[in-house]
Amino acid sequence: MRTNLDRRHFLGLAGLGAGAAALAACGGPSTAGTADAVDTASIDFSGVKPAASIDFWTNHPGKSQDVEKAIIGKFHAKFPDIKVNLVTAGANYEEIAQKFQTSQAAKTGLPGLVVLSDVWWFRYYSNGSIIPLDGLVKQLDINIEDFQKSLVDDYKYEDKQWALPYGRSTPLFYYNKDHFKAAGLPDRAPATWQEFAEWAPKLKATSGAQYAYIYPALAGYAGWTLQNNLWGWGGGWSKDWDITCDSPQSVAALQWAQDTIYKDGWAGVSSKEAADDFAAGITSSTISSTGSLLGVLKAAKFNVGVGFLPGGPEAPSGVCPTGGAGLGIPSGISKEEQLAAATFLKFMTEPENTAAFSAATGYMPTRLSADMSAVLAATPQIKTAMDQLAATKVQDNARVFLPGADQEMAKSAAKILTQQGDVQATMTELKKTLEGIYTKDVKPKLKA
Amino acid sequence: MTIRQIHSSSAEPAGRPGPQPPVAAGAEAKPRLDRKRWSGRSRRDFVVFLAMALPNLALIGIFTYWPLINNIYYSTLDWTLGSVSATVVGLENYVTFFTSEDASKVLGTTAIFTLVTVGGSMVLGLLVALALNSKVRGTTFARSAVFAPYVLSGVGVGLVWLFIFDPGYGVLAWVLRGLGQQSPQWINDPQLSLVMVIIVYVWKNLGYCAVVYLAGLQSLPRDVMEAAALDGANSVRRFFNISMPLLSPTTFFLLITTMLSSLQAFDLIRIMTPLGNGTSTLIYEAYLQAFGAYNRAGYSAAISVILFAILLIITVLQLRFVERKVHYS
Repeated sequence: MRTNLDRRHFLGLAGLGAGAAALAACGGPSTAGTADAVDTASIDFSGVKPAASIDFWTNHPGKSQDVEKAIIGKFHAKFPDIKVNLVTAGANYEEIAQKFQTSQAAKTGLPGLVVLSDVWWFRYYSNGSIIPLDGLVKQLDINIEDFQKSLVDDYKYEDKQWALPYGRSTPLFYYNKDHFKAAGLPDRAPATWQEFAEWAPKLKATSGAQYAYIYPALAGYAGWTLQNNLWGWGGGWSKDWDITCDSPQSVAALQWAQDTIYKDGWAGVSSKEAADDFAAGITSSTISSTGSLLGVLKAAKFNVGVGFLPGGPEAPSGVCPTGGAGLGIPSGISKEEQLAAATFLKFMTEPENTAAFSAATGYMPTRLSADMSAVLAATPQIKTAMDQLAATKVQDNARVFLPGADQEMAKSAAKILTQQGDVQATMTELKKTLEGIYTKDVKPKLKA
Repeated sequence: MTIRQIHSSSAEPAGRPGPQPPVAAGAEAKPRLDRKRWSGRSRRDFVVFLAMALPNLALIGIFTYWPLINNIYYSTLDWTLGSVSATVVGLENYVTFFTSEDASKVLGTTAIFTLVTVGGSMVLGLLVALALNSKVRGTTFARSAVFAPYVLSGVGVGLVWLFIFDPGYGVLAWVLRGLGQQSPQWINDPQLSLVMVIIVYVWKNLGYCAVVYLAGLQSLPRDVMEAAALDGANSVRRFFNISMPLLSPTTFFLLITTMLSSLQAFDLIRIMTPLGNGTSTLIYEAYLQAFGAYNRAGYSAAISVILFAILLIITVLQLRFVERKVHYS
C-alpha cells in the first residue's frame, strides 16, 4: 500500500516524531529505584589533581561581594593554577537553592563550591547533591578543631561533615540609643520581653517613631526569629521530630506577640526588611541578623545599640538560634573540581579570611584563632554577636529540615500578626501541615 | 521538462492494464486524486517546503512539545527536585491537588485575579481609549504615557510599587498619615496583597488594551456614526448600539490575549509577594511547589498540566461560543 505524504500527514508525522523524541528523552530522574545517597566509599582523592577552574556560587551574604572578590584575589596569588569564578547565583539563599536544584536536575552547570543556608543543606544531603567533606578535610589538613564547635556541628549528620560554616549569623537585638535615652531607659537591650513590655509604652510616647518594636518581615525568615519568642515561653516549632507549635507554651508566646500589636499597640510587622525599617527610624528596636550589622551602622543616622535577644517567662537566656550559611561541594562534578573546590574552601575559611569577611559584613568569625582585634576596634558591636554565640541554641528540626516549613511558618505568622487570626486554630492548622510535610517528604528519607 | 509539463503528464490517468476490481465510485476517485497530488509535486518544491518548515517544526518540537510531553510525564512522578531518583505514582499528584485545601484557594485566587485583571484592564483601557480618541491637545503624549507601563519590566514596576505600598515609608502611607489614617498592611495581609498585585497589574496592562481599543475606535466607519447622529441617536446610544458592536472583534481579541496573559502572570507576583501568601495563582503555585521551597517537582508538573488544560478549555470555549457574538463587518 502506498502512503501519500501531503502537508497534513507530514505535520502529523513531525508531531509524532517530536513526541517520540520527547518521551525517549525523559531523562530527568531515574524511576528504577536508584538511591540518592552519595557513594561515600568512592570519595578518595589520593592521586587526584585539582581542576584548573571552578565556579563559586554565592548570594554575597551581608553585601560581601567586595570582600569575596578580595579573598579570591588572594587565593589566585597563592594558587595560580586554580581559577575561581565568582558567580552571583541569586539575591538570597532561596534563589541560590533554586539555581542549584535546577542545575542538579539538568545534570549540568554545577558549581565547584556553593553557599547553602541552614534550611537547605539537609535537603541537598538527602537528595545526594553534596558530598561529605571528611576525606577532603583529612587530605587537605583542614583544622576542624579550630572552627566554632556549635557552627561546624550544625552540618554534621550520620557522623559525617556535609559543609563548613561561612556566613554564619545569629539574630541580634538592635535598638536606637537616642530613643532609649529620650525615654529614660538604660542603654542596653532588655533582659526579657516582659521588661521590654514595660519600656515600650515610654518609647512609643517619646521617640516619635511609629513603633517601639517591629517584628521581622514575614517573608524574610520569620520562622527563624520567632523561635526566640517560642523558646522564651518554653515552646517551639518542634521537639526533635514532634511538632509542638500548637503546645500551650507556643500558643502563649504567639498570643503575646499578637497582643503587642493589636492590644498594646506598640509593635508592628515589617513589610520588607526590619533592619532597613530600623535604620530608617521607623521603629525604636527590632531583631535582625548579625549580617545586617554593618549595613545598619552605615545607614542609620542615630546611635545604634545591639544586645542579646531578650528571654521569656520560661527561659530568660539561651533563646537565640544560630543561622546563616555554610559552604558545600556538589556531588555531580568531577573529583578534580571537588578537590579544587575544597582547596578554595580551606582558603576561604582560614582565620585571616573569616576575620576579613566578618569585618566587612558583621557575620561571626567561624574560626577560634581568627584575630578579631582590629575588627573589634573598628566595629565593637560585633563583639556582642560573638559573645552571644555561647548562649545560642540549635534550631528546631521543623524549621530547618522540613521542606517549605519556613514558608508555612511565615504564612501562619502573617495570619496571627497581620490579620489577628486565632492563634490556637492557626497553630493547629500549621501542625497538620508540618506533619504532612514530615510524613511525605522527610520520614521516608531518614535512616532508622 | 518544465513544471507545466510535469503537471500535464501527471494529470493523465494512471491506468493499469487488465481487469480492475469493482470499487465504489467514491472510493475509486480518492486514490487517483492523492496520486495525482503527490506525483504532481516537484522534488524542488518539496525540498523548499522542507527547508522552510523543518527548522520551525524542530524549534516548536524542542521548545514547546518536548517540554510539554516531558511535563506530563513528570506529573506522574513523586520526584523531589534535585533528586536523581523518583517513583511513578500515576495520577496521585492530581488527586492530591484536587483533594487538598490548597486547590480551592489556588483556583479561587486564580479566578479572582484573572477576572478582575481582565475586566479591569479592558474596561479602563476602553475608557482611556475613548479619552485618547478625542481631538484635544496633548493626546500624542498621553498615548505614549498610557502605553509606557506595558513595555516596562515587571520586576522594576513591582519594586517601585512595593515602595509606594510600603506601610512604613511608602508614599501611600505618607498620604494616609497626612489624613490621620494608618496604612493597611498591603504586603503582609494576604487579602490586601491580592488587591495590591491586581492594582499594579491593571495599571501596567491597561495601556495595552487602551492602544488596541484606540486602533479599533479609529477604524470605525464614520458614515454609520453620522447617519445615526442624523437619526437623533445621542452619544451614549451611539456608543452602546454602534461602537461597541463594531468593536466586538477588538473586544474578542483582547479577551483572549489578556485572559491568557493574566493566567500566566508571574513577574509581579514573584517580586511583590514572594511567599505567594494570598496571591498564589495556579502558575505561581506551580513555581512555589517546585522551586520555592517544597521541591515537589512532580506535584508542580501536575499543577502545570492543570493550568494547561484550563487554558486550552478557555480558548476553545471562547473560539466556539464567544466568537459567535462577534461582528466582523
